[in-house]
Amino acid sequence: MKRRNFLFATASGLAVIANPEHVFARALAQAPLPGLPGSADRCLVLINLAGGNDGLNCVVPHGDRQYYRLRPALAIPQNDVLAIDASVGLNPGMRSIKALYDKGIVAIVQGVGYPNPDHSHFRSTEIWQTAAPDRYEHTGWLGRYFDEAALSRENLFSGVAVSKVLPEVLVSDRTDIPAIPALSTYAMAADRNAVARNAFWNETRDRRLPFESPYLAHVMEIEANAQRSSEELPKLVAGYTTKAAYPATALGQSLALAAQIVGSNLGTKAIYVEHGSFDTHVSQVATQNRLLMQFSNAIGAFYEDLAAHGNDQRVLTLTFSEFGRRIDENGSRGTDHGEASPLFLIGGGVKGGLYGALPDLSDTNMGNVPYTIDFRSVYATVLERWLGRPSATVLNGAFQKLPVIA
Amino acid sequence: MAAQAQIDVGGILRPQGRLDFATALQPHHGALGARAAAHLLRRAGFGGTPDEVRRYAAMRAPEAAAALLSFPPVGSIRPPREIEDAAGPVSMSANPQQGVMLRKGRRREGVQAILALQLWWLNRMLTTPAPLQEKMTLYFHGHFTSVGRPLFPWVTYDQNALFRGYALGNLRELTRDVSKNAAMLIYLNGAQNVAAHPNENYARELMELFTLGVDRYTENDVRESARAWTGWRVERRTRAVSFDATLHDAGRKRFLGRNGNFNGDEIVDIIFEQPQCARFFAASLLNWFVYNDPEPQLIDSVAAILRKHRFELAPVVSTLLSSNVFYSDRAYRALIKSPVEFVVGTYKALGLLEVDESALAALQQMGQRLFYPPSVAGWPGGQNWLTSGTMIARQNFLTRLLGSQTLAASSWLRGLPVASASVSRVLAEAILQGDVAPDSLAELKNYLAGAGTAALASLSVENYDQRVSGAVYLAMATPAYQLN
Repeated sequence: MKRRNFLFATASGLAVIANPEHVFARALAQAPLPGLPGSADRCLVLINLAGGNDGLNCVVPHGDRQYYRLRPALAIPQNDVLAIDASVGLNPGMRSIKALYDKGIVAIVQGVGYPNPDHSHFRSTEIWQTAAPDRYEHTGWLGRYFDEAALSRENLFSGVAVSKVLPEVLVSDRTDIPAIPALSTYAMAADRNAVARNAFWNETRDRRLPFESPYLAHVMEIEANAQRSSEELPKLVAGYTTKAAYPATALGQSLALAAQIVGSNLGTKAIYVEHGSFDTHVSQVATQNRLLMQFSNAIGAFYEDLAAHGNDQRVLTLTFSEFGRRIDENGSRGTDHGEASPLFLIGGGVKGGLYGALPDLSDTNMGNVPYTIDFRSVYATVLERWLGRPSATVLNGAFQKLPVIA
Repeated sequence: MAAQAQIDVGGILRPQGRLDFATALQPHHGALGARAAAHLLRRAGFGGTPDEVRRYAAMRAPEAAAALLSFPPVGSIRPPREIEDAAGPVSMSANPQQGVMLRKGRRREGVQAILALQLWWLNRMLTTPAPLQEKMTLYFHGHFTSVGRPLFPWVTYDQNALFRGYALGNLRELTRDVSKNAAMLIYLNGAQNVAAHPNENYARELMELFTLGVDRYTENDVRESARAWTGWRVERRTRAVSFDATLHDAGRKRFLGRNGNFNGDEIVDIIFEQPQCARFFAASLLNWFVYNDPEPQLIDSVAAILRKHRFELAPVVSTLLSSNVFYSDRAYRALIKSPVEFVVGTYKALGLLEVDESALAALQQMGQRLFYPPSVAGWPGGQNWLTSGTMIARQNFLTRLLGSQTLAASSWLRGLPVASASVSRVLAEAILQGDVAPDSLAELKNYLAGAGTAALASLSVENYDQRVSGAVYLAMATPAYQLN
């Protein structure tokens, strides 16, 4: 359905009883450009490790004596590290991810960051989500991807945030992306007034309003989207059976919903999930180890569930965190806001392994891990090699691609 | 030329049709009538009760603007108790673990204090006799953004009070003062800006987002301005602001083509001498009060008023709120209600006297937490307010508020005649100013009469509260209600 027709349809009646097959057709998912890889049913799951995940205690440089010197209270003992090689290994809580790494579907990119790092959670989160370290952007990089790919306004689930509030990364100019913290909360209240409203919206097809407004079409389109998508979502995902034992954590439940959305073939191209808080200024080890174990266990269940449905090749998971933390520990057995940190790409399409240089702890910038890989290189790789779209417009420049996707 | 306007974001739409420049800013003639009065009250404040609309409907435009522009003094306004209780130095214990626990406790209390401040402000918006004062405070909050400080919540209140004090004050003086305000010095790192290590964050935003717009200055101007702003400090335990001359760079600077040993105040003065500064604020005020993406010619006319009155706000706001363009069809319902306008406006329209705590979670779901703008650029507004998710939040807020007990608290909804035709007519007027499609109005009447698919039983004395609240809800579920 062309955009013009769709607007006409909503303008002529808010609650047109559209054929859900038509509205949510998976065929509407944007095909990749000729010459770029990717298939129409690929999906990106973006996990925000919010609060600033300490990279050095996550991907541990256990072969570096400088690490143990600088972190007398916090360093992960060599025996506890899940060694990848003689230099680095994973935090002891990350057994499930280590198992996926051993299967060759986890890429760890070290030293990812951006120029002139900002140490504020707020601004640095914004930078990671907008992919604009040098200016203010009101749209997120995935939001611009949706707009650039002209992902259909007809598909109301082309992007989904599994969060209470729509994160900036999914803010777009032309695509309506819902925030769905849980199936039960993405619903219009169902009291008698709401029942009456639905009937009222269905009955009142007359749109001859006695005024004009540049925003009227948008209001009516969003009203129709809200009503239809909240009604249809439970039905569209009802046929899916979860085939893994997810942990009872918030992240476990979020990823269970993500797998359900992927497995229900709604044409969803990107799903946002968050986990945290990693802001470990105090007593870091217990907190971070627990959070990383939750992350790892949830990912383990997620890929088990995806694989059981034959969807593991369709889903690429990418993590990010607004910054890493200082190399030196602080006086309260924690670490303060830092700069570069590693991130993870997980999934069937990933060429597993270690990428990027091991952080050089002797060459530091005021106690910070300097970045060696621009975060936009990772985004460009995901856009072009996974989602099959050009990246220069979305990222406002050309960035080198990394060989992390098969 | 969109670049001239301050708004450089997507989803911001100019009304269709042509503007009559010659008469745009001349005073609108004749008595307002209910529709224009409600428009004025929505834009200059947060909407009106039926009584307020009736009172303004009889006025002429300049008289109505004058009524809105007269403010009581701000001196007697007290912050909520939680803010006053929180004031006081934060302990920095020698024992780090103990210090951390103390700070955690303070932070918990501070979070509560910020929530109390949000509710306090929403209630001021609802009940103040000077709604324009709060509307300007909200404008400044979105313009000169800072983020709430739970550990030092009074800092957040102080900035709010600063904005309120300048509601119709002088833009240049406000810009000087907000630059040295604790919340701003913390938020944009002014407090870390010292001669030895200049921090350019504030210097950049001051020009890019607060006064001139992008590409109206050079990187060198940013560096030189940052030097001029060095020396402002925020005390660690109390967040008191002071100036330390030993940390200030008193040397010569070259800024926007001028040379001198400038300090921050002088930087503001030079910025305000730029013709672009008046245009920037003119575009911003037109976007706020009249419609989005205003024409460059209109921006220039409003900028001329600002310059003529040396950036005093009262004359320009008075002109805008009395003008033909403000009362034109092009401006009417030409904005999307912000969540705050939607929420406070709903309490107002219902004749309720208090915003309750549940509004805070609803506002967050709708995408507008007071004191937590999404970025230093503030809330982008326009189409960006509405997504499926935020629309569901808006509808669920209305559903919850319009449980039938709401009617008991309403100043006017109890006394309507028990007749479906007249109730539907009254609601369409009072809530929508008649901005409803004929079919919808007919369905509203059917609903009350017990006919049609939406209905339950016909309106009677026994079911009055439940049916009327249902009908109010339906009126608020029409598209006009999302528009300001």
